[in-house]
Order: sequence, then structure tokens, then C-alpha cells
Amino acid sequence: MSLTEQKIGKALVVGAGVGGIRAALDLAQSGYKVTLIEKEAYTGGILAKLDRQFPTDRCGMCKMLPTIERDAVSQHCLRRGLFHENIEILTGASLLALEGTPGHFSARIQENPRWVNADLCTGCGLCEQACPVEIKNPFNQHMGLCKAIHLPSPHAIPNSFVIDTAACTRCGACEKVCPTGAIRISWQDRERFRILVVDDELIVRSSLEAWLTKEAGFSAETAGSGEEALELLAKSSYQVMLLDIKMPGMDGMEVLAKAKEISPDTAVVMMTAYATVETAVEAMKIGALDYLVKPFDAESLLPKINSLYEALQLSTARKLDVGAVVLCGGVSYYDPSTGKDTFGFRSLKNVVTSLEFERILSSCGPFEGKLLRPDNLKPVRRVAFIQCVGSRDIGMNADFCSSACCAFAVKEARLAVEQSGGEAEAAVFYMDMRTYQKPLEVYCQQAQGQYGVRFVKSRVHSVIADKNNDCILRYPSPEDGSMQEESFDMVVLAVGQRPAKGARKLADMLELPVNKAGFFETLPFFCCQTEKPGIFVGGSFTGLKDINETLICASAAAQGASLAIHGAGGGLAPVARAVEPDPEALRAHPSVFVAVCTCGNRLGKVADEKALAQKLKYQPWVKEVRNFARICTRDGYNELVDVVKKSGANRLLLGTCLPHLHESRILALASALGVDRACVEVTDTFAPAGRDEQQGDKSPFPGSSEVLGTLLGGIARLKRARPHALPSMPVIRRALVIGGGIAGMTAALAIADHGFGVDLVEQTQKLGGNLCWIKRTIEGYETALLLEETLGRVEKHPLITVHTQARVLGATGSIGSLTSRVADNSGEHTICHGVCIVATGANEAPVEGFGYGLDSAVMTQKEWEIALAQNSQDASSLETVVFIQCAGCRRKDRNYCARVCCATTLKQALYLKEKNPSADVFVLYRDIMAYGQMESFYTQARRMGVIFIPYKKDCPPSVEKKDEGLFVSAFDPILQRDLCISADRVILAAGLAPELPAELAEGLGIQIDEHGFSKEAQFKWQPVESSTSGFFACGTVLGPRNISESIATAGAAAERALAVLSRESIVGGRISASVRPSLCSLCERCIEACPYGARALDEEKEKILVNPALCQGCGSCVTACPNGASVLEGYLREQMLETIDAAFA
Amino acid sequence: MIPKERPFIEPDKFHDLEGVQKMLASCIQCGTCSGSCPNAFAMDVTPRTLWRMVLTGQKEAIFQTRTFILCSSCYSCTLRCPRGLPLTEAMSALKQIASREGLAPYKASTRFYKSFLDSVRRHGKVREGEMMTLYFLSMKNPLLPLQFAPLGLRLMLKGKVGAPFPTRGKRPLESLFNKVMQLENNP
Repeated sequence: MSLTEQKIGKALVVGAGVGGIRAALDLAQSGYKVTLIEKEAYTGGILAKLDRQFPTDRCGMCKMLPTIERDAVSQHCLRRGLFHENIEILTGASLLALEGTPGHFSARIQENPRWVNADLCTGCGLCEQACPVEIKNPFNQHMGLCKAIHLPSPHAIPNSFVIDTAACTRCGACEKVCPTGAIRISWQDRERFRILVVDDELIVRSSLEAWLTKEAGFSAETAGSGEEALELLAKSSYQVMLLDIKMPGMDGMEVLAKAKEISPDTAVVMMTAYATVETAVEAMKIGALDYLVKPFDAESLLPKINSLYEALQLSTARKLDVGAVVLCGGVSYYDPSTGKDTFGFRSLKNVVTSLEFERILSSCGPFEGKLLRPDNLKPVRRVAFIQCVGSRDIGMNADFCSSACCAFAVKEARLAVEQSGGEAEAAVFYMDMRTYQKPLEVYCQQAQGQYGVRFVKSRVHSVIADKNNDCILRYPSPEDGSMQEESFDMVVLAVGQRPAKGARKLADMLELPVNKAGFFETLPFFCCQTEKPGIFVGGSFTGLKDINETLICASAAAQGASLAIHGAGGGLAPVARAVEPDPEALRAHPSVFVAVCTCGNRLGKVADEKALAQKLKYQPWVKEVRNFARICTRDGYNELVDVVKKSGANRLLLGTCLPHLHESRILALASALGVDRACVEVTDTFAPAGRDEQQGDKSPFPGSSEVLGTLLGGIARLKRARPHALPSMPVIRRALVIGGGIAGMTAALAIADHGFGVDLVEQTQKLGGNLCWIKRTIEGYETALLLEETLGRVEKHPLITVHTQARVLGATGSIGSLTSRVADNSGEHTICHGVCIVATGANEAPVEGFGYGLDSAVMTQKEWEIALAQNSQDASSLETVVFIQCAGCRRKDRNYCARVCCATTLKQALYLKEKNPSADVFVLYRDIMAYGQMESFYTQARRMGVIFIPYKKDCPPSVEKKDEGLFVSAFDPILQRDLCISADRVILAAGLAPELPAELAEGLGIQIDEHGFSKEAQFKWQPVESSTSGFFACGTVLGPRNISESIATAGAAAERALAVLSRESIVGGRISASVRPSLCSLCERCIEACPYGARALDEEKEKILVNPALCQGCGSCVTACPNGASVLEGYLREQMLETIDAAFA
Repeated sequence: MIPKERPFIEPDKFHDLEGVQKMLASCIQCGTCSGSCPNAFAMDVTPRTLWRMVLTGQKEAIFQTRTFILCSSCYSCTLRCPRGLPLTEAMSALKQIASREGLAPYKASTRFYKSFLDSVRRHGKVREGEMMTLYFLSMKNPLLPLQFAPLGLRLMLKGKVGAPFPTRGKRPLESLFNKVMQLENNP
């Protein structure tokens, strides 16, 4: 049906967390084929484990699903799974090798073996009941128990079981009970895996041999010396050699070198004492695969050998030709038990990490969503959150801030209070509350005001348990520094981010650099681009990001990948999809084929299959009823297609379990049968049957009537189904970009480079925005080069039309066809375009107080920056400079953090110290927002001798002008005394205020948030979309951000806009609303009811129009319409009423 | 009032303070050191406050506190510091300044240290009786021995204070001490 074969471009996305899903969806929506690979057995990454997110305290992951071309993707909870016709998902797969150039990469993917065949597994759970081995549940962060054979995530669809091979005893119990024969544990095959153990100590040899053979079932032989080992190697082949380094005579290194000559295919694992670890690392350079540090036990050896076995013997590799690669490997989290400061983690039961706490709050977590103490399962009444565990800790090689934990902790504190019905008290112990995300400042204030969360600015020194297992926290009082002890039921550690497992290996393989902390390095100003063209880093793989930034970076990386494919000759293929249904089929009398899946004999246990078939057969529209053993398996599916084709029926009803699972296949099924998609229906026959079973109905067939009811309902819906042509509307393939700053220019270039025209409107005389006065970033990058290059490209680009000194007056129309009025010096023009990107930016906020205006020596950051650039200030002559933070923002009138001013202050303070090391530089601050890698500059500033003095919001510093000069007074909470600093210069961090006039927003029809910035459709999940479809925003107009972050949003906005521009027309969804004009009284109630603004009144034709690109098929209009004139295809009134009748039959 | 107390350090007799400031520069005043310190209960200001005083250059205030002189060099703070700062070394550096300059508030402590080392220098190990005699003599306070009498008696009863045995050989650690002095004078 879709012309997917025509698509030229193909991309590989590594990692299927939210970042990977976002990047894959973006690329798929622009028409590329995407292969999405994931190491774990489920998609969703960390987010699969988080039920609710800041700032809505709900999950909104499904908001990532496309709103146009809805039928390409199955519209259900994204945490359960992702089905897009252009996306192929491989779980348990990793990237082994990559060769080639942009547009023509060849990737080798390794797929791990699955002991449970996903094609055969029906998820019935019999194996889980049979399995005798209990392990700690990995999905619940090792809290609670599950079996060695278990579901990898509780909600995924399809959800096939996986086996923890390290814990599995291979008893075979699951294999015996599996009704579909999906489980295959090849015990015998393991014997063919031969291992050679080489060690001079007999005890080591014999115990290793015993572990490897008796416990793990491999074959093992031993050798007492290097010479003996080489003889054995020459005689027969071994898959693995475990080789000791220190042996008398020939040592391990020598044996390794010779063994590589004799038997190059044998994988060598070195065994080493702690003292010779460096030698082992050397050994890896000359061909050893891995090393083990002695002493080790079976628990640490066997998983390693197991994974070697799986990788060497069972995994399969496949080759993929792709045009570009997006790496979205995500992050891992710090384990406090490995650090010097454990805060009682692992030794005290009631100390958990933030991720564990999240699982405790989850309804599918270890305590089913009840907030209980892990030690005695009593309700938690007092919970403490300790921030910066494994972040901002130079001693732990963590000279960075993990950026997301402050929001994470505040959210968890609010949820804890909420879930306990307000009975729990929460306290957050923090160093700086980094509320730098736009909504977080207010969110935090709400936590304090409405939820009573206590915020204590203090670093907890230690956590100890008393005799009741309560956690006693010791911390210096933020007031006077005296030591306090306080008791809590539970302590939650905000664990910091670390590079994802395997990130280093991937970087080495791709020959890409990583930074000191191990995160991927990216190019200056472009936080998604690597040194190698065609390879992009998206999501949180570069580390230290929250969801909002993760998604922005994922989209920006997708944009880069899209451009790489496009530039190499791959194109965005047009998607022509409006297929007219066959008129014959429309007129044909409905004849329904009912296929009932019995799932082995599972259905037979609850419903009388024969009686069921008998009753259904006499329904007037039913052609044939047939039972199938298993439709979900490949064989079952093929049989179904054959039988239905032969029967001559033109509609098909499936009665199965898990209808979601089949939804992704219906499209393929419909085209295999040669019928319209509307003629195939799936109903869930097992859920209602199972319900009765649970209620304890003891009759022989407790579920018969329910199953019959659901099937009759399905027949009712099918017989009224109307195959129809999908409505579509053409797209004007041009974009309007408002604002000529770096974000606007970048977005314009990204779109124009894909071959679409762009109008770039700038209100001032020249392009460049804030980059015209910012000269240098804190990292030391010159902005002039960036500006020059971008300007040059914009001006030369044949597809970009620049309108300077121009204003946009307003826009009419809707996504795909918008008309805007633009006024410039020559008068008013009209521009037609399909999408609009708003990038009007922000400027320094006005300042009041803090002595501003008293003296020319009191200036704002911008004034100071400009003065320095013009050389009107001599930085080296200044003796004392005082910076005052939060002078314009985080106050009543601008209640958000401007995020860039702390970095600017650090930059300027470092500059002053560099020019004059003996200068005294003071920074008066509330919280230093040195998030992410910025933390290292904060450290550097401290090292250079900058003095930081915190002040409280209600006790701001004052600036006075006296005869002797300027004096700044502030209170130092540590010294507990007032300080009075005579200053040569006072520099105020004014912050940023948006440049989005209300008239412009109103004219465009986009919403403004409470601070005056452009409002995102959803802060977290739709960060660059405006609430009005077809409008996107990027740069500082969305909220304060620095240059590289602005550039990333520009890429993201362009990528989303390209999803619209890449098609010639937007095709509406199969389930969308329409109006019967003959019944319509033009009361316009439906227009008000529509939450998507999809309806409008055509006054000339006296008709209500439905915009197919906007309608999401929610049905609000149908309920609002008093005449039944508004109808929703697929949910017609007759269909619904008959379904209800059938259910009560 | 800072204005006349700064610039932080005048290059006079407290010039070593600059070195201590460098050691502590990246301190974030988190207070982990105060929490770790087993002697904090006896200190008049906590270690955190002391570091703040050092960083803000309040030399007069620093050398009126008892904090650094009460440091028993257990290294707990150094171990726990999230910034990895050499806090115990900083304490020692302050002690050295106090001792070298003979600052009045630390007279008793510095003389006690000196007596201890004098005894060690002479015999290669400490002789409690001799050390205390040297200490009392240096303090020039006739009433002082009386204050220590009960403690001395208890220690003697437990056999903790041995009788002075003649030392074998002369000044066994002399060359070591000389070397250290030489190094200190020509760093």
C-alpha cells in the first residue's frame, strides 16, 4: 500500500531509549527507512522505568507519536512498544563495526541469541510458573524477585520471555511446559564449547575445571604450563583459553603471542593478580579479549564465560547498508556502593537510589506502588533526598553536574507526598538547587509551598542506622554550620550520570574521542555532530541531559543524519498513499470470516468452542467461523491468510488475545487479503474470559457468554464498516522562519539544504541576533567564526530569501498551507508556506535595584561584554570586581532561571583573573547553575581564587555609592557576619527576557507561556512544537539557553518541520471525523469542542469543514453534536450501539 | 568589614597563608570536613568556617581560633572531601605558621610539640618524664606541674611512664633532624 520500496535513504539508530525513539520517528516521518537497534530486550530505555515525569507529574511519552500521517504508526502507549511502518526494531542487538562514508555506510550488527523464540512465544506465562530459580528483578532495579525466565519489562508488546542465562540452572522445566515449543535451551551444545585453562597452580586449575564443567556444562581441559598449553592448542581446537599471566617458565604474555599464531580463532581471557592488571591491559592490545582479576569466584567467572559463549557461538551478525548513523546510547548511573561515600547504600536497607525509588512508586514495582520502607514494609512517613551523589565530586572523577537530578528529586519528593496522601514529609538536601529548566523554578516553589517539601542547602555528611533501622542523617546546619542529626524512614540518593555501558568500546571502534568523564566529544557549537561526517550523537549519549534536552538533541541528530543521507544522493521520497478503495468492494454485501484463536487449548478452558462456533455461524453476515490454534505464530498467520482467501469472505474478524499486538499486522493482513484496512477487526477474547475465571466462577465454561458478546460486537462493527478514501490536503513545500539570529539562520539552512525554499524574516537591519555582541563562549570558542560562516551560507543559499527590516503581521490557514503577511520598507507582502518556525529570540532582561544607574561602574553583563569587546575597559587594571547573580530573573516578575548568566559570570570572572591574577573577584549568588560540563569551569573559577558568597532570595546584597567609591554589602552565612566589599566594578547578571511581542503571537495564533516565552506543546515531550500545529519554535524564544543549545533546538525544529515538508500532501488518519451537511445546523458546537482546532465554518458554502491534517479522531465533536451530523469513521453510531447490544446479548 | 583587611594577604610574616589558600581554592564550603572531624566538638569554629576565613584572608581571626591546633591529623576530612582537597596538610601548614611566628594563643601547644620533639631528638623515642620536664621549664609557670600531677600519677600507676633508662649511643636521630632542617631552610 505505501510505496516504501521507493524510499532511497536508510538510517541506523543505535539505542532505543526515548532519544533513539525520537530520532527514529523523526527520520521515519521524513520518509527514511530506519533500523533501530537496542541492547536490552525492551525499548524505552530508562523511561520504561519512570512512570511519571516533571513538570506534569504524568507520563507523556505518547506525545512523541506523530500527529500527521497517524496511520503509519500504531497509536498506543509508547512504553508498550513502537510500531512504525518505516522502522525496523532489533532488540538484543549491538553495533559491531561500521565502515564507509556518509550515505554509504556498511554496518555489522550482532544479534544476541534468544533462548525464547519471540516469534513463537505467546507470553502465556506457563514457563514462569514452572521455573524453580528466583532472581532479583532486574527491571525493578534488583528489588523484589522474579524467575530466571521472566518478562524483560512488564508492559511491552509483544512481550516475549527472556532467560537470565547466568542464573538459569538449565533444569528444562520451562522447555517442557511451553505449549508452542518456543524455548530451546541447548544443554548439549554447551559441551561442544571447549575451554582450555592454563595455570601453574593445581587448585586454580581444578576449581575452574569444576565450575566450567559441572556448574556451567562446558567442556574444559587444563594445562599446568605454557608449553603444555601450546601443545594442546596445536593438537585440537578450543574456543576459549583462560590464561594466567604469571607462570614459571613461559609467562602468559609469551603464551598469548604464540597461541595467536597457532590458533588465531581461540579467544583468550587473561587471569591476573591485582598487581599485574596493567600487563593484562597490555595483553588486550596484542589480542587478548578480556581479563579477570584474581581472586574471583564462580559468580563472577561464569557470566563472563556465558556471554562469551553467546557472543562466539550463538549470536548472529547481519550486515546493513545505511546512509547515516545516529548514536543514542543513553547513560548509565553511578553506583554509590562503589564510591568512597556510600551514604549507607547497600548496607542500610532503607537507603535507595533515585531510580529504585521511582520503581517503588510504580504500580508495577516491588511494592505495587505503595510507598513502603524496604526493611519492614511499613508506610514511609519521612523521606530524605540527598543530591549530588556521584556528581560534582572531583574525588570520584566527576567534575560535572548530572543536570537532571534536581528536577528528578523534586518530582520524587512531590510524588512521595502525594502518594502517601499528604502524610509523608520530604526533605531535599542539596548543594545548589539547579532549577535551570524553564518550568522548574515554579515547580520547585510549588513543591515547597503546596507539598511542604523542605529544602535544606547542606551536604549530608553521613547516613547511619539506629536500632529501628531508621536512617540518621548528619549534616551541617545551613543556618549556623552546627552539626545536626535528623532521623528519616528512608533516604533516596540522587545518583549521577555516567557514560553508558559499552560507550567506550563503541567510541574506540568508531575511533571517536571521548572527554575526561568518558562521554562522547562533539564539535564546538554543534552538540550532536562528531568528528566523522555521517555519524551523529543524539539523545543523552553525550551525557548530563534531562528528557527535554535529550529529545532536542535526538531530533537535531536526526536532522544531521537526514542531511547526510540527502547530501549523498539519497532523497526524501514522496509518499503517495491515498489509495481509492475498489468501488466493487463498497457495493459488495458484507460477508464476515470469523477467525478465533484458541491459543492451544486455553480458550477451551473458559469457553465452549463448539457452541460458540455454532452460535456465530447463524449470524446473518457471517460467512464462516473457524478456530485456529495460534494466529500469533508465523505458521498460524500463513494458514489464516490461506483459509480466508479461499473462503471468499470480504471482511475478517480476529478473536485473539492482546489486540495491540495484532494491530501492527493488520495493515499487512489487509493487503495480503486484498481488502481495505477498515474491513479487518481484532477483538480481545481472552481478557473478558479471564476476568470471570478470576472471579471464581466454577461452571465448566465461565467465559462463554463474554467471549460470544465480544465476537458479536466485532461482527457488528465490521458489517457497518465503510471502506473510504482517506482525506488529504496538499502541502506548500516552503517554510517561513521568523528571526534572523543564530537559531533562525541554522533552522533556515537546515530546511533549505534539503531542497525546500525558506523565507527568513528579520526585524533589524542585519542578521546575527545576540551573536553580534557575544564574542566568546566559556569554552573559549570564538563566535565570530560561527557567525561569519553561517551568514555567508545564508546569504549565498539560492533557496533562502532574506527579508531584513521586516515584520510578520499575521498568518492564516493551517499546517501545510499557511499564508502570512509580511511588512517591510517596500510595503506589505504575502508569503505562502507550509510550516513556520518562530525564532525571535530573547534579549538581556531589564534590571532594577542593585545600584544600577547609581554609577557607571555598575553595569550589566551585556554592557560589560560590549565594553570589553570595544576595548573601552581595561580588565587588568581592576582590583576588585563584584558579580551579583539573579539580578533580573528568579524574582516575582520573571520567575524563571535565565540559565546563561551563571556561565557568563564564570566566563567573565575567569577572564578577569587571567588578566590580573591578583584581582579580587567576588560572586554573590543564590545557586550557581553550572549544569553539565559547566561545573568544571565553576571548579576552575574557585581554583583561580574567585570568592563565591551565597545569599538568600529575601536578603539580597545591597550596593551603595559613597565618597570613597562603591560598596557592596552582603551576609556570609559561613562566617556568620556581614561583609562590606569596596568594589571597582559591579556586574549584574540580568538574565534573559523573551522577544516575542504579544501581537506577533496573536497574529500567528501561537500561545505564550506565563513568562512570555513561546509555549511548547509539551515542555518535555514536544519541546520545539508550538501548541498550534504547523508552528515550531527554536532558540531563546523557547526559553533561555546558550548558543550550542539554541543551535540544537534549531536543528530539532527544522527536523520536525521537514516531516511536514517532505510530503506532497498530508493524508488524514483512517479514524477521523467528518460532517453530514444535510443534518448539520451550523450550531458550531463542534468547533468549540475540537481540542485540535481542526474544524472551521465555511461561511460561503455554509458548511463545517474538518481539516484532515489536524483531526486526531478523538470523537469530541461527535459527542458535542446535537443532530448526529458529526461522525467518526470506524466509530459510527450504528456500530457502537450494536456493539453494546451484542455485549448484553 | 573587609575593605581595610583586604587585600587578602600582605606579603609580610603571614606569606605562607597564600600557600594554604591555594590548597583550599576549590573548596565549596559543603561542610563535609566539619562532619568528619572527631575533634570538632572541642573547636571554637568548625573547619568549614576556618577554610572560609582562610579564603577570605581574615588572618587575624584565623590565628585566634583553636581549630587547627586541635587537629589530630586523622585524615578523615581529607578522605571525605568531595573536592579532594589536602585539608590535613592545610591544618599542618597553619600549625607551622603559628609555631614559627610564636603566636601567643598557641604558646602552650607549640611548646608542648617542641618538648616532644626535643625528647625524640635526644633519645630516638619520647621519654615522658623528660618531655614533661622540658615542657614545664619552657612554660615558666610553677603551678603548671600541679595541674598535670593527677594525670602523671595515674599514668605511673599503670606503668605508662617508664623510668629514664640511659640511651645507647648518642642522639641516634640527629642526622635525620639535621637533614630535615636543611631541607626546610633550602626548600
